[in-house]
Amino acid sequence: MIGAGAIKQFKKRWQYSKYLECLLYAVGFGGFVYVLSHSILFALLGLILTIGIALWILKPWKIRSENAVHYIDAHLPQAGFSSGLLLSPANELSDLSKLQQYRVASQLEPVLSKLRPPHNLFKAALVMFGLILFGIAGSFILAKFGNLTERGSSNKEQISFAPIDSIATAAKIPELLQTSITIQYPGYTGKDPITTSVANIKAVEGSRITWNLVFDGNVDEVEMDLMGEKISFKKFQDTYRLTKMLTASGFYSFTFKDFDGNAYVSDLYSLEMVNDNPPIVEIEGLDNYSYFEFDDDKRLMFNTNISDDFGIDEAYIVATVSKGSGESVKFREETIRFDKAVPKGNKQIQLQQPLDLDALKMDPGDELYFFVEALDLKTPLPNIARSETYFAVIRDTVTDAFAVEGNLGVDLMPDYFRSQRQLIIDTEKLIAERPNISESDFKSRSNELGFDQKQLRLKYGQFMGDEAEMQAAAGQVAHEEEGGHDHEHEESEDDLLDEYSHEHDSENEHNLVEEMSDHSHENDEEAEDPLHDYVHNHSDPEASTLFEKSLKAKLRDALNIMWDAELHLRLYEPAKSLPYQYDALKIIQDIKNSARIYVHRIGFDPPPIKEENRLSGDVKEISNFDKKEDFDYQMSFSSTREAVARLELLIQDKKEYDSEDNVLFEAAGNELAKKAITDPLTYLKVLQGLRDLEKAAIRTKENYEYVQKNLLQVLPQVDENPKKKVNYYDKINELFLKELDTYE
Amino acid sequence: MNDGVVFMNQNLFWPIVLIGLVLFAVFIWKDWTQQKDRSFWIKSITIFLAISSLVMIVLRPSTLQKTINGKGIVLTEGYRPAQLDSLKSIYKRIRTEEYSKGRTLSILENVDSLFLLGHGVEPFDLWQLQDKSIAFLGGEKVEGWTAITHENEIPLGGVLQLNSRYSNPKEGHWAVLADNGGNPLDSVLFKGIEEERITFNTKPKSSGQFVYSLLEKDTDANVISQEPIPVQVVKGALLKILMINTFPTFESKYLKNFLTERGHEVLARTQLTKGRYKFEYFNGASNPIYGFTQKNLNAYDLLIIDTDTYAGLDSASKEIMEETMKTHGLGVFVQPNERFFNFSKKQSPFGFDRDFVTETTIGEPEQHIQKYPFEFKNTIKIQEVLVDSVEVAAYVPMEKGKLGTTLLRNTYQLVLEGDTDLYANIWTSILNKVVRDFDALADWKALTTTSRVGEPFKFELRTSLNDFEIHTEEEHNIYMLQDILLSNKWTGTQYPRKTGWNQLTVSNDTLSKYSYYVFDENQRKAITLSNRLKTNKRQFGNKKGFTSVTSASQKEMIPIPSFWFFILLILCLGWLWLEPKLVG
Repeated sequence: MIGAGAIKQFKKRWQYSKYLECLLYAVGFGGFVYVLSHSILFALLGLILTIGIALWILKPWKIRSENAVHYIDAHLPQAGFSSGLLLSPANELSDLSKLQQYRVASQLEPVLSKLRPPHNLFKAALVMFGLILFGIAGSFILAKFGNLTERGSSNKEQISFAPIDSIATAAKIPELLQTSITIQYPGYTGKDPITTSVANIKAVEGSRITWNLVFDGNVDEVEMDLMGEKISFKKFQDTYRLTKMLTASGFYSFTFKDFDGNAYVSDLYSLEMVNDNPPIVEIEGLDNYSYFEFDDDKRLMFNTNISDDFGIDEAYIVATVSKGSGESVKFREETIRFDKAVPKGNKQIQLQQPLDLDALKMDPGDELYFFVEALDLKTPLPNIARSETYFAVIRDTVTDAFAVEGNLGVDLMPDYFRSQRQLIIDTEKLIAERPNISESDFKSRSNELGFDQKQLRLKYGQFMGDEAEMQAAAGQVAHEEEGGHDHEHEESEDDLLDEYSHEHDSENEHNLVEEMSDHSHENDEEAEDPLHDYVHNHSDPEASTLFEKSLKAKLRDALNIMWDAELHLRLYEPAKSLPYQYDALKIIQDIKNSARIYVHRIGFDPPPIKEENRLSGDVKEISNFDKKEDFDYQMSFSSTREAVARLELLIQDKKEYDSEDNVLFEAAGNELAKKAITDPLTYLKVLQGLRDLEKAAIRTKENYEYVQKNLLQVLPQVDENPKKKVNYYDKINELFLKELDTYE
Repeated sequence: MNDGVVFMNQNLFWPIVLIGLVLFAVFIWKDWTQQKDRSFWIKSITIFLAISSLVMIVLRPSTLQKTINGKGIVLTEGYRPAQLDSLKSIYKRIRTEEYSKGRTLSILENVDSLFLLGHGVEPFDLWQLQDKSIAFLGGEKVEGWTAITHENEIPLGGVLQLNSRYSNPKEGHWAVLADNGGNPLDSVLFKGIEEERITFNTKPKSSGQFVYSLLEKDTDANVISQEPIPVQVVKGALLKILMINTFPTFESKYLKNFLTERGHEVLARTQLTKGRYKFEYFNGASNPIYGFTQKNLNAYDLLIIDTDTYAGLDSASKEIMEETMKTHGLGVFVQPNERFFNFSKKQSPFGFDRDFVTETTIGEPEQHIQKYPFEFKNTIKIQEVLVDSVEVAAYVPMEKGKLGTTLLRNTYQLVLEGDTDLYANIWTSILNKVVRDFDALADWKALTTTSRVGEPFKFELRTSLNDFEIHTEEEHNIYMLQDILLSNKWTGTQYPRKTGWNQLTVSNDTLSKYSYYVFDENQRKAITLSNRLKTNKRQFGNKKGFTSVTSASQKEMIPIPSFWFFILLILCLGWLWLEPKLVG
């Protein structure tokens, strides 16, 4: 067994190197974990785990003497592939073997100790350092990102105080130990209260916010400065507490005094109020205007989608039915509940409801306006929202044209007003082409034009209330006359001139209709309807007060002229017809223009002047009239503008910071805070900067510049306003102007 | 050529001559014994010569001679080294001196022709080169802001217009105007042409003394250069306005509302009927006005009057109104109607031509405004008021005061359409021109455009004051030079001691302060250089050769070198020493 010890030693060295390798890997990983987490515990855990894994993989204990022998045989020529003999007990060997054993043992003796077992120590060391370096790099990056997020959050989370006067820095600053802010949402929102330490608060209108501050050390008085308003905290044992209802957005900061009378102020935090939005109501599957014929199935089908941020309380349809037209229009409003009950508190509901126009007792010519109204759960006053208004009309063939025009103010003038011009163009074209076309062709085209002219006349006739079948005779106005007279009786308030003008401007100007029949008719009607004098009959177009008398007469004139035009066309005399057509066109244009005057007519009617007082020149009762009024004009953001100039002086070292500046900067802050409510993010920086100037330590040139820069950024332009300036009047200039005057 | 001898030490002439004579007498007396000898006469002459040379050495006689000095090179800032090298290769061993401002050039004593290289010498050093022949060769191209002009003092609400020129800009760079906080207000991209002209317009937001800056930024927004733009923004005062109308119009009503809501004191009088008026007193106005008197008109800064009232003024009232304008500076604005445009010259100083245009567009976005179909006749006295480069109004200066009117009609439509900003803009522009100004006691004007520490800052003061003193911030007095012809024009010079804002005050009027900005060495460099270049070019011309040397100006007193007298003295003394030995 000579040399066996050496081989065993070699084996051990091999094993050790393997163990060392495991350890290196483990240390590397442990270091990596430590650098990243800065926690010994995690590092140790990592270390042990890695050792385990590495041992499991490398299995150093599995290296046997045989492995060593194989390795030695392979790497040492001196072993002569017989190092295995060294392990065998001498008595088991042949002589030759013994000789060889002895030879090998003696030859291996000096070399074996120098032979290195196979190892990956170098690689393991590299991995270790690599891991640690990697960890350092990682922790650096983490620190960078972590800082960013932490800085952001620390700004928000930790309320920090700074002394207002620099003297106080010597004394121990009472520290804020704990901040807890509880936001209690209004009951209807169904939200649980939130407790946070984040001082920038965003909550729903009407939330109750409670601030609990715990100080270490002696604190005398804690106040909240909410946009210039100071609110004191109440003390409960060690905690300072303040509860406030959130009613408006704004900014706040905390101030406290210690018992030495030193004041401290915190950063500025935003208090953002989120309004409870009103519900959103949408109606789907329906046009804004729906028209029904009398005999249609008058049902409206639609879907209503209602959504709200905190829940819907109620929804219903408000339907208004208008009957009649013009001034006699009557409205009837009805609230229609949805058939399906509206589930309370849902954030989104879809409702379906058919509207039966017949059930609403609508007659032809009536109109329905409806919308869906929804209320949310907000207390004390719910938000109310309504959908767009939808219209449904049951057509009434007679009053259609007027109803649309009179009620909606929409210019729905039918486009056949244009066709008279078209007729003229066609007629002229026909005259021009006459030599080139055959006689029959000419006649047939002339006849067609005559037909078109008739169509046009009929359509205008509709305007006058003429029935189509009454077109056989010109100026068929028999029943309309009554309307005219009704008008006279009823509309005295409408047109003072009526009494004077009617005789000349009546539609019967041309005496195309016998007056007699009217009167009998009228009498009949009066006998029939005793109320006739007192109601405003809008169903009759002739009685409509929208057109003046003369307008009707004009339209009648136009119709009559159209008759003549048609006559000549039918007689194949288009050239003769043309002048009539032109006349008709002119009158129609007139009518169109006077229809526009309608808007003015319903304006202010001055009371009639007493004739005896007119032009008497008596001004005795007229006296001077005096009026005094004062406007308190302040240039927009005047304090802020002043602050910019003051900061410039401070920057240029032309002025020491004093209490006056404090007042100014506070005023500027309050000015900006009003503006800031709408856009807190842009302004918070500025406000914070202004507020910070109260702290003595912060009054440096850099800070002044920073605040000034931010102020300038948010300041709006100066209002345009003429101003008096300082100017030097030079004698020479004056002389020059004087000379200029003289010699001009 | 030799106009006679002048002794350099003329003041020593008589004592030295006397001493010489005494010395001569002593020598003659010493040798008197050898009088019979022939050598006595020779000796006497030698002695005379020796003593004369001694006298001459002391007195230094000199003659007026044409200088025969050589050429030299003066190097100033921005010279081209290549140019210097080629000059040096042509004129071997030519003298060179580098110029530094304020110091006397020593090279001038020895040369009469100078090559001036670079951007030239400071204007206040030009006197040094006055008698020399100069070839001004110029220098490297000036790069940077070569001109920056703007109003130093603007009213709050007014526009700061900055006109600038940049020589040899780099394409892709930006010119940025930033406010005193450093917020960018406006920017322009350089196109890379030889000279970029840039105009910035901005409205300062606050009153006070500010330093805006004009930055040049490269494509990566790095600041390349920064020029300070010192601006004083002054608050104006609110106006006292009298409005007189025969009957109410919407135009008057809205104008009145605009003015009163902006805080001006307005008294509006509208005629109700004969002798009866509606008086409206806004913002503290009081005392009704029935007829015009100097006194009651003088209380107002602006009189707004409609055409009918203006035409209906009796001659006395009109005279009073015009007198108040002329002597006290009252501003009068006539609200025109159709009739006003047909007034004769006697009735109104304005002249109109019909242009048949009844609408004009102003503003951004464009707004259409009705106008009367007239335009102002282009006469000397009529000063136009432009809004957005559209002629909207004009005024005629009436000595101190102004009479204005407008071409626009129914501007209140703008208010109805919601464009109150444009309405305010138009009326502010018009009324600002017409309104009476405060009478200032003094008017300051800087004559030195770019003032620097230690360099003369020249300024002009116009004031009717006679007995006054000007103080600097350090409480030093500055003595003012009165103009011979204009007794109210004074000039003065100060050597500022610090950069930034400096202030001058009039001793007996604390209100009349003048602030000016002193730049440091690195600011406004290109402007100074280009100005210097211009001044030098103006002084020396642009040609590359020398001007011919005129004899009168180039002659100089040159002393006869003492060396010659010294040799004569040695020779004489040598003879006197040798002579006895030769004889002996």
